Amino acid sequence: MTELNARQADALTELINIAFGLTAAKLSEISNHRVLLETPTLAIHPMDALARDLGLFVTGEVASVHQVFAGPFSGDAVLLLNYESAVKLSNLFVEEHLQSQRLDSSTGEILAEVGNLLLSACLGVFGNLLQARVTFSMPRLHLDSLEEFLTSIAIGSGESQNAVAITASFHIREQSVDGRIVVVLDAPSLEQLIQAVERWEGAQSSA
Amino acid sequence: MSSSILIVDDSSMSRKIIRGILESAGHEVTEAADGMAAIERYSLEKPDLVVLDMVMGGMYGLEVLEKLYEIDEHARIIVATADIQNSTREMAEQAGSRGFLTKPIKKEELLSLVNSLLEGAK
Repeated sequence: MTELNARQADALTELINIAFGLTAAKLSEISNHRVLLETPTLAIHPMDALARDLGLFVTGEVASVHQVFAGPFSGDAVLLLNYESAVKLSNLFVEEHLQSQRLDSSTGEILAEVGNLLLSACLGVFGNLLQARVTFSMPRLHLDSLEEFLTSIAIGSGESQNAVAITASFHIREQSVDGRIVVVLDAPSLEQLIQAVERWEGAQSSA
Repeated sequence: MSSSILIVDDSSMSRKIIRGILESAGHEVTEAADGMAAIERYSLEKPDLVVLDMVMGGMYGLEVLEKLYEIDEHARIIVATADIQNSTREMAEQAGSRGFLTKPIKKEELLSLVNSLLEGAK
């Protein structure tokens, strides 16, 4: 399994910080609320460890917006919320008299579009900075348990059950919304990502 | 002056937001939720301008853009997308897009672009 040297880890961390920072800014812009972002983390571990890790964050019914991305590096990008936070987040975008305590087709579609905005922004930063073209699938809303949702992540069905997970938690405190953005790559994609990051880091250093 | 504008976006939330902005400026708005519907509507209605999303089910936005120019080489099409990549902007411009906006759409930016394109058409 790929291991990062200190320089690679530093460059990748910087890239992730920029991408997730801009994603949080996008969420703040569309929600009109201050968004607190925890420091993103990168972890390389088997898929079942990913489930364990995410299981610490969300229990019970999970609402997720999932987009598959492809290009020089490919994988899954996910906006992950517990059900209550998903309802609260979607309610930020509808008039008060239309707000609901459940996700229905209307608020579900709002959540999918919010996820699309955030995940596209996050992956778009990767594409822009690394000068790599990334394409996205349509956003899909899942309402499942975490275990059921993870089986839908494409990377879990590959030959390698190892995954690279880049995660960052965010909070909209006034609304008690807690969520997490997760980008999952397989090992070959991590190699591609590292090469692109090294080129980017080299260009930054010589600029 | 009121103009006819077609919004092509698979998200009803996005269509509602863009419709609200355009109608507040007095424009007449129609909608299509996918590329095929957009092509049908454009052929029938020949709107003055199209606001087109990129990532949609079925036909991708760039393909829709090319099809619309096959129907009408003078079509005025603005791309409005969550995809912020420079490469997407370049591909849209190469395909003939007259403007590129990233979501969330800002009212002033959209109306400024729409007005400049419609003014230029007179």
